[in-house]
Amino acid sequence: MTTVDMRYTGSALDRVEGLEKVTGRARYAFENFPADLVYAVPVQAAIARGEIRAVDVDAVLEHPGVIAAIWYGNAPRLVPSDNADLAVFQSRRVAYRGQYIAVVVAETYEEAKEAARLLRVEYAAEDHDVRLRADHPNMYRPEKVNPNYPTDTEHGDPDTALTVAPVLVDATYSTPAEHNNPMEPHATVAEWDGDALTLYDSTQGASGVRDTVAPLFGVPPANVRVISPHVGGGFGSKGGPSPYVIIAALAARHVGRPVKLAVTRQQMFAVTGYRTPTIQRVRLGANADGRLTAIVHDAFEQSSTITEFAEQTTTPTRIMYAAPHRRTTHRLVRLDVPTPSWMRAPGECPGMFALESAMDELAIACQIDPVELRIRNEPDADPESGLPFSSRNLVACLREGARRFGWADRDPAPGVRRRDRLLIGTGVAASTYPVYRRPSQATAQAHRDGRFTVRIAAADIGTGARTVLTQIAADTLRTSPDQVLVEIGDSALPAASLAGGSMGTASWGTAVVRACEALVEGLDRRDGDLPAAGMESSADTTEEIGAQRRLSRHAFGAQFAEVGVDTDTGETRVLRLLGVFAAGRIINPKTARSQFIGGMTMGLSMALFEESIMDLEFGDYLNRDLAQYHVAACADVRDIEALWVEEDDPHLNPMGTKGIGEIGIVGTAAAVANAVHHATGVRIRDLPIRLDKLMR
Amino acid sequence: MSKAMSMDFLRPMTWAEALAAKAADPEARPILGGTDVMVELNFDRSRPSALLDLTAIPELAEWELRDGVVRLGAGVPYSRIITELGDLLPGLAIASRTVGSPQIRNRATVGGNLGSASPAGDAHPALLAAGAEVEVESVRGVRIIAVDEFFLGPKRSALQPGELIRAIGIPVTGGPQQFSKIGTRNAMVIAVCSFGIALHPAQRRVGTGIGSAAPTPLRAHAAEEFLGAELDWDGPLDRAVANRFGELVAAAASPIDDVRGTAAYRRHALSVLARRTLTWSWEEYRCV
Repeated sequence: MTTVDMRYTGSALDRVEGLEKVTGRARYAFENFPADLVYAVPVQAAIARGEIRAVDVDAVLEHPGVIAAIWYGNAPRLVPSDNADLAVFQSRRVAYRGQYIAVVVAETYEEAKEAARLLRVEYAAEDHDVRLRADHPNMYRPEKVNPNYPTDTEHGDPDTALTVAPVLVDATYSTPAEHNNPMEPHATVAEWDGDALTLYDSTQGASGVRDTVAPLFGVPPANVRVISPHVGGGFGSKGGPSPYVIIAALAARHVGRPVKLAVTRQQMFAVTGYRTPTIQRVRLGANADGRLTAIVHDAFEQSSTITEFAEQTTTPTRIMYAAPHRRTTHRLVRLDVPTPSWMRAPGECPGMFALESAMDELAIACQIDPVELRIRNEPDADPESGLPFSSRNLVACLREGARRFGWADRDPAPGVRRRDRLLIGTGVAASTYPVYRRPSQATAQAHRDGRFTVRIAAADIGTGARTVLTQIAADTLRTSPDQVLVEIGDSALPAASLAGGSMGTASWGTAVVRACEALVEGLDRRDGDLPAAGMESSADTTEEIGAQRRLSRHAFGAQFAEVGVDTDTGETRVLRLLGVFAAGRIINPKTARSQFIGGMTMGLSMALFEESIMDLEFGDYLNRDLAQYHVAACADVRDIEALWVEEDDPHLNPMGTKGIGEIGIVGTAAAVANAVHHATGVRIRDLPIRLDKLMR
Repeated sequence: MSKAMSMDFLRPMTWAEALAAKAADPEARPILGGTDVMVELNFDRSRPSALLDLTAIPELAEWELRDGVVRLGAGVPYSRIITELGDLLPGLAIASRTVGSPQIRNRATVGGNLGSASPAGDAHPALLAAGAEVEVESVRGVRIIAVDEFFLGPKRSALQPGELIRAIGIPVTGGPQQFSKIGTRNAMVIAVCSFGIALHPAQRRVGTGIGSAAPTPLRAHAAEEFLGAELDWDGPLDRAVANRFGELVAAAASPIDDVRGTAAYRRHALSVLARRTLTWSWEEYRCV
């Protein structure tokens, strides 16, 4: 595999669209105003389970400005698909409270909102079941877990190994439902021209939205264009089209005018996915020297009654530590709840909270330093598949982090360090995230003025993707970034994988490199003599990625936290947070640092604040705004730093990169919880670490 | 067809015009910074017939010191209380620093906080501890209401139809004052519980205010009486007295379990806050 020359890759280039964004010129989905635009406001189900008997459409049509009210009873039929969430208004059934069951279209947003509020819906409500518990009688074993992992794995004889293990940790951890809250709520503008649909959408993948939406309306993908140049955060919640996109397109077709639909912050808590709550039992068997003999990790999760989303909670346990006897399982129950989905590091994030908390408990049980315990259980190869790691530098991260953090000579005794009113403690946790890469296409065009245009339907959801692709293209084209224009965020561009799974740079970067290489070759052949129209080359990485060697590819990291816990009130503040990561080559230290500390901040937020509370009586999430669903504020993040160790891995992609978008959140919550235990002697196994849990 | 909803927006330029407008439409909702009212409108929790914008009335945004009392205009924002009144009203200034975010402190006012009468209002405990009085006015005349008689229930106050809050009279005691609030994060947070204390050395009396731990903000009367009887104003603070004070403050509250914290936690935390703020105030008092 070739390696990109490192002139601009590796440098801290400012965001290429930074000025456009800070001056407000960057246009987001909601800011598109096609002629004859009308507004759609969807109506949410007021019951958690049952049927819609009737909707009084006629009454709202009397209201000023109202053009249409659409529900199952009068909605056009969509082409059936296997995605039940997207089959909007195709059934009388209500699967969860807050589900979109109707939409009102009016001349103005205010008129649509008022009519939606007044729309009378008659229900036949049924008893609902919204409480996740591990012993739920309807727990079952899904066929696979997201995106395509085996549900369960087993090696050796873990049950016997646990029975005979000299040291045993057996603990149950839980994480609550958590909701993505990107700065920009979801929005779309849908416009039909005959059988052709244009969607201005806020999405993590324009090509994917096109491919999903088109068949629902019985049109070829080429008839659908998704435009999404700027996205104000996604974290997974904009990974695929959510029901609101389909409603906008359906409404636009129904009324014959362009339709704008903006999801409100409150609605997001029901209709744009969330992280499933988890209950996880972890059992670790070890010798007195801390060497693991058995690892068993069982996860219990929920999904909605209409869609199976099985989060891959225990998958990181499959690769983290050596042990001859091991088992991981996932069990799912279908409840009358909204459909969960991706939230930054689905699987790894909640799973590593449990595993890395358990490792801390094992370190204490064995009286071994928790950094040393992890080093002692470092595997030579992937512990389950047996495949070699393409590179694995967890130990380097732990050692470098320990050195920088001042870990040496740490007194392991809990509850003994006081600073004024605070009990002080430190904690460590490992972090990991898989290296994914998906086929993508790109084109590179040389213009006669010496400039270049690179095109790919990639998405920049605030990560800096546009900037790093510019750097990668500049180096491959042997030019400078200011000579390269990278066009992304439009399904009319060469098809690309989505911004998810931390695979954007690897997937799109490979396609960009190959297209640019082909162009350079072509230019070299012509000795730089360009035809008037310029010259263009394209690339499709399907074959290259299909042919890549089977290896275990993962990024690793180590998270260190220092906390102060008020002895009398239990108020917990994270005083210091340090993450050290091994993630291949870093293309842009500035945007990379933002990804790492952004993930770590979200992990801090998960540790102390984030919790979507299910209202068992009404069957929906209770805290549906940013005043009640707390995310960390700047004042909560006092001292945060992210570093990375050199990692030269030739088995990844032409840039030598691993994904960095999600690893920052993985392990952070465990590092904080472990630090809280070190500070207070209280082990919090159920997130978040609320102050009243420390005082009970 | 139902009646289309409309809402008048009234913007009086003088206090007299404001009183007249409120008299003409007692349902008109006064608005200053809008940090509560706009949230209510946005969430469709209330639909007043009119909004009565008081921000154009100059005297509402002024304060004056007269005869040992600060007369704080209802429209003075928290950010100005912090920068201008830290010396005169230390307890209220400390509480003001815990309100929302810088942007909210630039907009939000004590008048608005009182008008909303939320049990969690950050200004209330400091006002209760200081013995503040609320100056309300209507076309019928002026009434002065002691702040501990102002709160009648969650979001219900002693304001009568047609009355607007003109100012808050807060005695300058010269004594130490403290405020402490427990929140689940460091900023932009509704109090889990809060507590304000003011020493009144001249009267050998201690004032208290409890927030977020009962249907209304309230004073801990038994705790105040206990300190009045037991405090040795010429000696160090007796630990046992401070502890008992904490217990009496906790006993005065009637908290509930909610998403921000359990009732048991709130009682415990209140006793801690009471003991702590008394200790800080006493240290300051003894050092002066």
